[in-house]
Amino acid sequence: MAASVSSSASASAIKVPAGVPTLRAGEGNSFLWRRLHSLSGIFPIGAFLVEHFLSNAFATNGGAAYNENVRFLTGLPFVLALEITFIYIPLAFHAGYGFWIWWRGDSNVGDYPWLGNWMYTLQRYSGIAAFFYIGYHTWTMRFSGAHILTHSEVAYAKVWTELQNPWIVAFYFIGLTAASWHFAYGIWLFAAKWGFIVGEQGRKKFGYVCLVIGLALAGMAAGSLYAFITTPESQVPNMQEFQQLQHAAASYVLPALNS
Amino acid sequence: MANKSILLKIKRQSDPQHAAIWEEFEIPYRPNMNVISVLMEIALNPVTRQGKPTTPIFYDSNCLEEVCGSCAMRINGRTRMACSALVDQLEQPIVLEPFSKFPVVRDLAVDRSVLFENLKAVKAWVPIDGTYDLGSGPRMLPEEQEAAYPLSRCISCCCCMEACPQFNQSTGFVGAATISQVRLFNTHPTGKALKSERLHALMGDGGIHECGYAQNCVEVCPKDIPLTRSIAEVGGAVMKQAFADLFHR
Ligand code: SF4
Ligand code: SF4
Ligand code: FES
Repeated sequence: MAASVSSSASASAIKVPAGVPTLRAGEGNSFLWRRLHSLSGIFPIGAFLVEHFLSNAFATNGGAAYNENVRFLTGLPFVLALEITFIYIPLAFHAGYGFWIWWRGDSNVGDYPWLGNWMYTLQRYSGIAAFFYIGYHTWTMRFSGAHILTHSEVAYAKVWTELQNPWIVAFYFIGLTAASWHFAYGIWLFAAKWGFIVGEQGRKKFGYVCLVIGLALAGMAAGSLYAFITTPESQVPNMQEFQQLQHAAASYVLPALNS
Repeated sequence: MANKSILLKIKRQSDPQHAAIWEEFEIPYRPNMNVISVLMEIALNPVTRQGKPTTPIFYDSNCLEEVCGSCAMRINGRTRMACSALVDQLEQPIVLEPFSKFPVVRDLAVDRSVLFENLKAVKAWVPIDGTYDLGSGPRMLPEEQEAAYPLSRCISCCCCMEACPQFNQSTGFVGAATISQVRLFNTHPTGKALKSERLHALMGDGGIHECGYAQNCVEVCPKDIPLTRSIAEVGGAVMKQAFADLFHR
């Protein structure tokens, strides 16, 4: 195997590992950032996730109900400011710092294939999957094509059209499941790290609670997807108007800024 | 066991400056050997499986009963104590490697002083120094003793750190053992005089927040110390301290 250098070879080329540095007591701000990362995952990001999943579940009541809910949400006062403060900034921070955390950890499930270690690894990869999904989803639904903020009546048609491609449906399913999982285990991690749940038994029980939360969210997302893909085109409200808007919007760079 | 011999593959390194090489050994089978006794057997006749004379394997050990903490190494990829690793229960060839996250001194011996430095950084002691006799310490309730005793069994082997995905050069994470010792000394009636100093130390870079709850530490700890419970408890105490700093100052 690694018998490439004999013990009498020159030492100059070989780096002596420095080892892991000791605790920098009283130095740096990583504590604050790391705790903000953990908090931002629960609030506002987790709270928005739940709200968003609930809103989308209106699809199970048909296109009109769905569009009515979108009209209410997009009609909130200061909607752009709300989006920026409670969605874009926290999400960008959570994702950016999350990648940094992922980059610095050394996942080792090969040597230590235990549940907690798998969950640790899965939390990193579900975060990455959710990141790419959310990036795509935000771009297609919020920042390109027909502009839903000003035309809530075509919201259902827009999502419905997007979900006509089975690959996109699969991508949505994976992304939504990853986000649900990441959030559910994130609640568990939050409770353990902030010292809310301390005992072994308590943490185990709360693990089941979080599992139920994760499965419920993933199920809710799957149900909403199912409602979209099983709706015939004839029941999609304002399809023609959507197609015109979508066509016109193709020439916009950033419709949000043009509206 | 029908085995006539014991096969070993050992990662060796003559000193920190030289690259590691692998050597294979084959020694006659005897029942009830442990990894240290196998290494002693090799030292009697240091010849590789291929018949090449070599040097005896260098390793740390002392107590041979899992209390000194010096013989930790990676055995078949996993961190554990060599003196309590029974050959009859190991898959062969037995692969021995030094810890991967600590500087190698020679062969299987590594420099684990980072744990000692971390224990100093959190003041993991009971402050009793002074100019006069302080008399006997305050009494501890039996319940407190029962909670403290398991924590006091830490043998500073560093297994919990080696197996931790967050313990590496990039994070400089302090590791579970030190956090658990903070819990031990913060619950001690005299030791808690330094409580907030210890909690503040753990807020520094590389502190308790770097833990990602992979829970490998508690799985590998040879002394069955409830490390994840310690991390959760101390984590809560650190958060309380942080809020106290924020609002009570
Ligand atoms: S719980 Fe995981 S990340 Fe935390 S100290 Fe233990 S092994 Fe490391
Ligand atoms: S806590 Fe356990 S694994 Fe860690 S150094 Fe102490 S005895 Fe070893
Ligand atoms: S020799 Fe002391 S713990 Fe193994």
